[in-house]
Amino acid sequence: MDISLILLTLQIAVVATAINLPIAIGLSWLIVKRRVRGSFLLDVLVSLPLALPPVVSGYFLLLLLGREGPVGSLIRDILGVDIVFTWVAAALASAVVSFPLMARGVMTAIEGVDERLERSARSLGAGALRVAFTITLPLAYRGIMAGVLLGFVRALSEFGATIVVAGNIPGRTQTLPLAIFEKVQLGRDADALRLVGVSIALAVATILVHNWLLSKSRTKD
Amino acid sequence: MATENFIEFNIRKRFTGFDLDCEASFGRGVTAIFGPSGTGKTTLLNCLAGMTKPDEGSISVDGRTVFSSESKTDVRPEKRRFGYVFQDSVLFPHKSVRDNIQYGYNLTPVGSREIDLDHLVDMLGLSPLMSRNVKNLSGGEKQRVALARALAISPKLLLMDEPLASLDARFKGAIISYLKRVVRELKIPMVYVSHSLSEVTALSDDTLAIEGGRTVAFGPTRSLLGSPALAAVADYAALENILEGEALPSQDGASTSRIRVGEAELLIPAIDAAPGDAVMVSVRAGDIILSLEAPQKISARNIVKAVVRGIHDLGSQVLVFADVGERITVEITPGALADLSLRVGSDVYLVIKTNSITVMS
Repeated sequence: MDISLILLTLQIAVVATAINLPIAIGLSWLIVKRRVRGSFLLDVLVSLPLALPPVVSGYFLLLLLGREGPVGSLIRDILGVDIVFTWVAAALASAVVSFPLMARGVMTAIEGVDERLERSARSLGAGALRVAFTITLPLAYRGIMAGVLLGFVRALSEFGATIVVAGNIPGRTQTLPLAIFEKVQLGRDADALRLVGVSIALAVATILVHNWLLSKSRTKD
Repeated sequence: MATENFIEFNIRKRFTGFDLDCEASFGRGVTAIFGPSGTGKTTLLNCLAGMTKPDEGSISVDGRTVFSSESKTDVRPEKRRFGYVFQDSVLFPHKSVRDNIQYGYNLTPVGSREIDLDHLVDMLGLSPLMSRNVKNLSGGEKQRVALARALAISPKLLLMDEPLASLDARFKGAIISYLKRVVRELKIPMVYVSHSLSEVTALSDDTLAIEGGRTVAFGPTRSLLGSPALAAVADYAALENILEGEALPSQDGASTSRIRVGEAELLIPAIDAAPGDAVMVSVRAGDIILSLEAPQKISARNIVKAVVRGIHDLGSQVLVFADVGERITVEITPGALADLSLRVGSDVYLVIKTNSITVMS
C-alpha cells in the first residue's frame, strides 16, 4: 500500500512539474529577455501562488474546474468527464502551488546568461528561437534543473490546494502529505511516522541534488 | 574622404543624459569611430549592427536599407550578416574553439560562404587551438577566435567594439597585425570603435570622431590627426606610434634586437624572432627627440634620418609627422618648433632610446 501511495505521489509531482516547465521557460523569456510591456505584472502573477495560502489557490481551481466552472463544464461537454477529485486535479493543484518556486529559479538561470552571448549568436545569423535552444537554454541548463527540482519538491509536499480540489481519496487522489494527515487524525502515529520518514527521505534527496546542481552552475564560469 | 559610400546613416537615439545624433558616409576601408568613453560610440555601432534601434533616421549598407524609421524597416541582426566582435571576445563557453567558429559558418547559406574556413583558421594562427576549450585560452587567443567566428560568416561588414581594450600590450600587437592581414587579404569593410588614438592611427583609413553623441570631426585619419577639431577630444600626449617592422638578423645573446621599419633600422629590446618575422612595436610620440643634425656621443641607440611631412601646431603642443618610409608622429613643444624653424620638407633626425620602444608581439 505504501508503494502505490509513493508512486501516485511521484506521478502527481512529475506531471505537475512537466506542465510547469514549458510555461516557466516561456514566461521567464518574456519577463527577463524580451522585457515585454507589463512584465512587472507578469512577475507578480508568477510569484502570487507563493504568497497566497494554498487553500486559496485550491479554491480558485475548484471554481474554475468544478462542474459549473468555466473550464470544468467545457471539459465535461467535450470529454464527458469531471476533473475535480481526480489525480489530474491533484496534479493541477500541485502545479499551481509549485509554479512560483520553479519559475523564479528558471528566471534567475535565464537572466544569468550573458546577453552579449545571445547578441553574438544573433549577429552570426541565428534567429531568436535558435539562440534560445543553442545558447540560452544550454547555458542556463543547470539553473533551470535546480528550479525544476525545487518545484518538484514543493509539488511532492503539496497539501492545502490539493485537498480542496482533489479531496483525499485513498488510491485515487491521496498523496503522501494527505495520507499522513489522515493517519494523524486517526491517531495511527506509527503509520504516520513511517510516512513522515519516507517524506523526509524524498525531500532530502531532492534538495541534495538541487544544491549540487546550483553549486555546479556557480563554479561553471 | 571616402570616395564610395558603402555605409550611409543619419540617426538619432535619445537616452537619459545624452542624445546620439549622427550622420556620415563610410567607405569600404577601415573606418574608426573615435572618442572618449561614454560618448555614444558603441551605441552607434550597435545601431549599425541592429542590436539597438534608433528612434529615427535611416541606415543603409551597400545600397540596402537596413533601418528606416520612415518606411518602418528594421532588418533583424541575424539577417544583416555583419560580423560583430566585442571588447572581451564573448565566446560561447559551452562550445570548443572549432564549434564557436563553425556556429555562424553553418548558418551561412552555402552560396554566401566566400571565406574558406581552413584558410581563415590558418590566417589567424588558430590551427593548434581548434579542439581546445575556450575557457583555457589567453586573452589574445580568445580575441582571435572571436575574430574568426565573426569572419566565418563571410560578413558584408565587420563591426568591432574596442577589440583591443582589454588586452595586454604584448597581445595587442599580434591582434593588430592579424587585423591588418584581414584587411589586406579579405578586403572586408570594417567599422572599428576605439578610444585609443594610437590604435585608430595604426588601423583606420577614415575616422569619425564623436563626443556627446555628435560628430566633431570626420575624414581621412592621416589628415585628421593634428586637426584642431580632433585635438579637442584626443589626448595627443598618450599617442603611440604603432609600427609594424621586420626582424633583422641579430647577434646571439645580445640585449637588443634589430628590426626594419620602412627604411629605418631600429634597435629594440631583445625579442625572440627569426629574421623576416613581423614585429609590432610602439613608441610614444612624446618620447622621440627631433634633431637637425645627427647627434654624436649620445647614449640613445637609434638615430634615424627622416623627412618632415606635416606640422600641426595645436597651441600647447606640436605634432610633427616624420617620414622614414613609415609615418612616425613626434610630439614637441611650440618653443622647440620655433627654435628648430622646422618646415615641411626639412631633413631631421629622430632620436629614440631603445628602452622607449615597447615590443607588442
